[in-house]
Amino acid sequence: MSQLQARFFTKDKRFVVDDVPFSIPAASEVGDLSNVINQLLLAKNASHSKVDFDFLVRGQFLRSSLSFHMETEGISTVRPDWMILTGSYDKTARIWSVEGKAVMTVAGHTDVVKDVAWVKRDGLTSLLLTASLDQTVLMWEWNSERNKLKARHCCRGHTGSVDTVATDPTRSKFCSGSWDKMLKIWSAVPTDEADESDTSAVSSVLWCDSEEVCSASWDHTIRVWDIETGGTKTTLMGSKVFNCISYSPLCRRLASGSADRHIRLWDPRTKDGSLVLLSLTSHTGWVTAVKWAPSHEHQLVSGSLDNLVKLWDTRSCKAPLYDLAAHEDKVFCVDWTESGLMLSGGADNKLYTYKYCQTDAGA
Amino acid sequence: MEESSGNMRSSEPTAAMKKVREKTAKKRSKEEEEEEEEQIFNFKDKPAGKEEEDEDLSDSEESVFSGLEDSGSDSEEDEKESDDNDDDDDDDVTAVESKQPKQTEEEEEKEEVVGGVTEREEEEKKEDEYEHDSSDEEDIRNTVGNIPMEWYKDFPHIGYNLDGKKIFKPIRNKDELDDFLDKMENPDYWRTVHDKQTGSDIVLSDEQVELVNRLQKGQFGDVNFNEYQPSVEFFSSDVMIHPVTNRPADKRSFIPSLIEKEKVSKLVHAIKMGWIKPRRVEDDTRGRFYDLWAGEDSSILGRHKMHLPAPKIPLPGHQESYNPPPEYLFTEEELALWEQQDASDRKLPFVPVKFSSLRQVPAFSRFIHERFERCLDLYLCPRQRKMRVNVNPEDLIPKLPKPKDLQPFPTTQSLVYRGHSGLVRSISVSPSGQWLASGSDDGSVRFWEVCSSRCMKTVQVGGAVKSVAWNPNPSVCLLAVALESVVLILSPSLADRQVVQSSERLLSGQPEADTSDAAGPVIWSDTEGEELNQGIRLKIQHPKAVHQVAWHAKGDYLASVMPDHSSHLQVLIHQLSRRRSQNPFRKNKGLVQCVSFHPVRPYFFVATQRSVRIYNLVKQEMTKKLQANSKWISSMAVHPGGDHVICGSYDCRLSWFDLDLSTKPYKMLRHHKKAVRGAAYHRSYPLFASASDDGSVIVCHGTVYNDLMQNPLIVPVKVLRGHVITHDLGVLDVTFHPTQPWVFSSGADATIRLFT
Repeated sequence: MSQLQARFFTKDKRFVVDDVPFSIPAASEVGDLSNVINQLLLAKNASHSKVDFDFLVRGQFLRSSLSFHMETEGISTVRPDWMILTGSYDKTARIWSVEGKAVMTVAGHTDVVKDVAWVKRDGLTSLLLTASLDQTVLMWEWNSERNKLKARHCCRGHTGSVDTVATDPTRSKFCSGSWDKMLKIWSAVPTDEADESDTSAVSSVLWCDSEEVCSASWDHTIRVWDIETGGTKTTLMGSKVFNCISYSPLCRRLASGSADRHIRLWDPRTKDGSLVLLSLTSHTGWVTAVKWAPSHEHQLVSGSLDNLVKLWDTRSCKAPLYDLAAHEDKVFCVDWTESGLMLSGGADNKLYTYKYCQTDAGA
Repeated sequence: MEESSGNMRSSEPTAAMKKVREKTAKKRSKEEEEEEEEQIFNFKDKPAGKEEEDEDLSDSEESVFSGLEDSGSDSEEDEKESDDNDDDDDDDVTAVESKQPKQTEEEEEKEEVVGGVTEREEEEKKEDEYEHDSSDEEDIRNTVGNIPMEWYKDFPHIGYNLDGKKIFKPIRNKDELDDFLDKMENPDYWRTVHDKQTGSDIVLSDEQVELVNRLQKGQFGDVNFNEYQPSVEFFSSDVMIHPVTNRPADKRSFIPSLIEKEKVSKLVHAIKMGWIKPRRVEDDTRGRFYDLWAGEDSSILGRHKMHLPAPKIPLPGHQESYNPPPEYLFTEEELALWEQQDASDRKLPFVPVKFSSLRQVPAFSRFIHERFERCLDLYLCPRQRKMRVNVNPEDLIPKLPKPKDLQPFPTTQSLVYRGHSGLVRSISVSPSGQWLASGSDDGSVRFWEVCSSRCMKTVQVGGAVKSVAWNPNPSVCLLAVALESVVLILSPSLADRQVVQSSERLLSGQPEADTSDAAGPVIWSDTEGEELNQGIRLKIQHPKAVHQVAWHAKGDYLASVMPDHSSHLQVLIHQLSRRRSQNPFRKNKGLVQCVSFHPVRPYFFVATQRSVRIYNLVKQEMTKKLQANSKWISSMAVHPGGDHVICGSYDCRLSWFDLDLSTKPYKMLRHHKKAVRGAAYHRSYPLFASASDDGSVIVCHGTVYNDLMQNPLIVPVKVLRGHVITHDLGVLDVTFHPTQPWVFSSGADATIRLFT
């Protein structure tokens, strides 16, 4: 660990610096930090005279070097939403920082990367998955400190392009869905697999909780699977192809995006699945991606082939809250970071992040 | 008064009886002379006495009720008396005399009674035994009763008195002369009445005469009775302050009657038990009226109904006039023209002629002729009523289900696959539905990912691609591409490794086939180098330009079409696994447009310009020839069931053939404005689509029933537009997604569009 990201706050108006993260050497101590602040203030105000600052890190005075302090206090440097993982049709996956800097390129697939997922991203080493058209899922281990990437496992078994991959909440298993109509559950630690068969290409999978997998398919169904028995628990019948689903543990609903321009909300607990709670209609093309907000019960974001990303509030189902018209081509994926940023990627080779409650910011 | 009168009545007969007794006693003595003297003597006295009596009587007997009877009885007495007047007047006198004292006695008694009431009552009780005896109304002087007195005609007596003694007739009967004399002399003759029962004459008193007169007039017997006295009505229409009766309403007036209820229940029970039959409704239709025309022949009636009067002869106009206005007269030219014309062409059948007067008009020479013509007209032109059927034109339109009910079908354009630079002639979707292959005039074959419209692969084949066809076998992944005179077999390696391997195996397992099929017009060759890297695995060199390739459902056989007017070598069938080609037809049956394999049976469809021929490949013979009523077939598609074929033609038509039904099109769809370029069936949904040069794709719903009796239901459901017409070419090819109700279309604007 050589560098740390840090922000500086003060209540004293005279010494306010910009609220942006600064990259600080991990070994720096109080004096070094004071110097940095003084330099910043000087740059802002020429008449600034040097002041010795004291620093509070999470309510504790900093007395030693930053790294030592963090070790003793047990503070993790890697913030959960620090990195963004994208897969691309150029056969690579990329890791981005929130600021929009490409940190790492994951190259190893022989064909298009269709889906990516984090397995574990706290601590220095994080695990990530990439699913590809070359019918494999690769698990990578990324050391964020040294910025080293190592392929851990290559999961072969699908006979069609792997379109979707999802990690279970306990971070020990993951599930992959493929064009060969199969849904495979993989254990993240030792490699073993369980198969479940769908009737048409699986377009999206996710974990409802540690026991259930939910899959959306081109055969117009959403199926909830029990991974212990490998059988279908619930089948929700739709009338059109499902492109994506998302499950919110907060409101316990499924949102599905389908080829008929509607986002539909389902209650997976109903046995017959005939109950469509709501349908959100505003897109003019296929809805290719939909994602519930991780921290908000009613918000979800959707991306569509009509180049729009829309932010919805399910309490007002008539119209979206915001149309995020940043993309110049089809939107293929959307996601949220845990801090509430919205992400969207599209066919115009761009990844956009949006911040809610402010003017939409492109990165 | 009544009582007293009653007494009077009861007392009278006794007086009369006494008189009779005295009479009879006198008769028995038969001393006539003495009697006469006595009578005369008595007669003299009588009037005075009688007058007194009468006055008494009138006073005493002025009662309303008894007056009549009394007078009656009196009149009888009088009659007798008058009868007896002649012979035994003395009798009467004695009787009267004897009577009078009695009555006076009675009256006196009455007056006495006022003093002693009790005595009087006792007397009354004695007399009352006659009061209720109805027999007192009869004359008890003679007890024979009310019988015809002729019965006693032959007897000397006329009855018996109360004592049972005979009452003898008066000895001397009156003869006519006596009667006449009496009439002449007796001033009371008119009021003398003969009493048959006693045989005596009675002279009526004035009161009695008056009573008789009143009765004869129909008046009340009593003079003083006012028959018109004002009546007091108890019940009137006027509402009074005080009611006549203030009795409260009866309970029975507001409680349903139990008796009626009982009666009704009895009736109901009887009806239920069937003892009482409800009254039958009389049938008026039968029997009451006589249907005059019932036996009439209906044809005669119909003729009467349908009778049409003969058209009337037009009335004569100015031309027919004997003195027509000069403008109606023919000029020289007109006359010449009239004479030249054929009789049937003439405007007028005669020449208008002018006469100075009506007298000079000759006989109409054409009369017979015209009548004959008229009769001929009537005879030869039967007048018939033409029945025109009024049909609402909308009723003739078949009832088709609404397109909304026929979901799902593609409705909107979802994706556009851009990348080609020339017009895209042909497209094909992989059996899995994940990939789309397209061949274009820019010399490239492109592979697209269906769901993202991303071009995954581009293969430059170096020539305008006429046709691409994905191998329908899902276990191999091969694409046949027709360009110029070559058919290329591409292995795009867009599938599972095993699939790729199996397709490799299929392509490589050939060697002995090559030797057996040595001298063919077709050269099979493997590719090398750059082409192999691109995925081109086989080249099948044809002698002529290949127009179309079509796979058999099993994926081993491949048919290629080389349209040529002159040659018999137009269709070739290649077997991929043995690298063998054969020409199935020896004769040229016309310019072959396209071919197709039957999806399940060994049939082969060959579409020439005008017709579609179906060959049985096993028997090697033609089984059917479908006549498309179009000028030039452009495309053909076979239903996945194999029993239906659609053909698009360049004259804007799409014809649906039902092979079980006929060799003529079951339905012709003329929805396109311009030439139909492509037609396609969906593999699982009941959909078919046609692409046209007018830039539209028309999706139709076509349900095919297993029941042979039911014809396919064809409903156009959607017109899909999106392609831009370039160089007068619109949509060139159309194909359905194998699993979803989506349709792809490729156009001359170098795009491929997906409609979902």
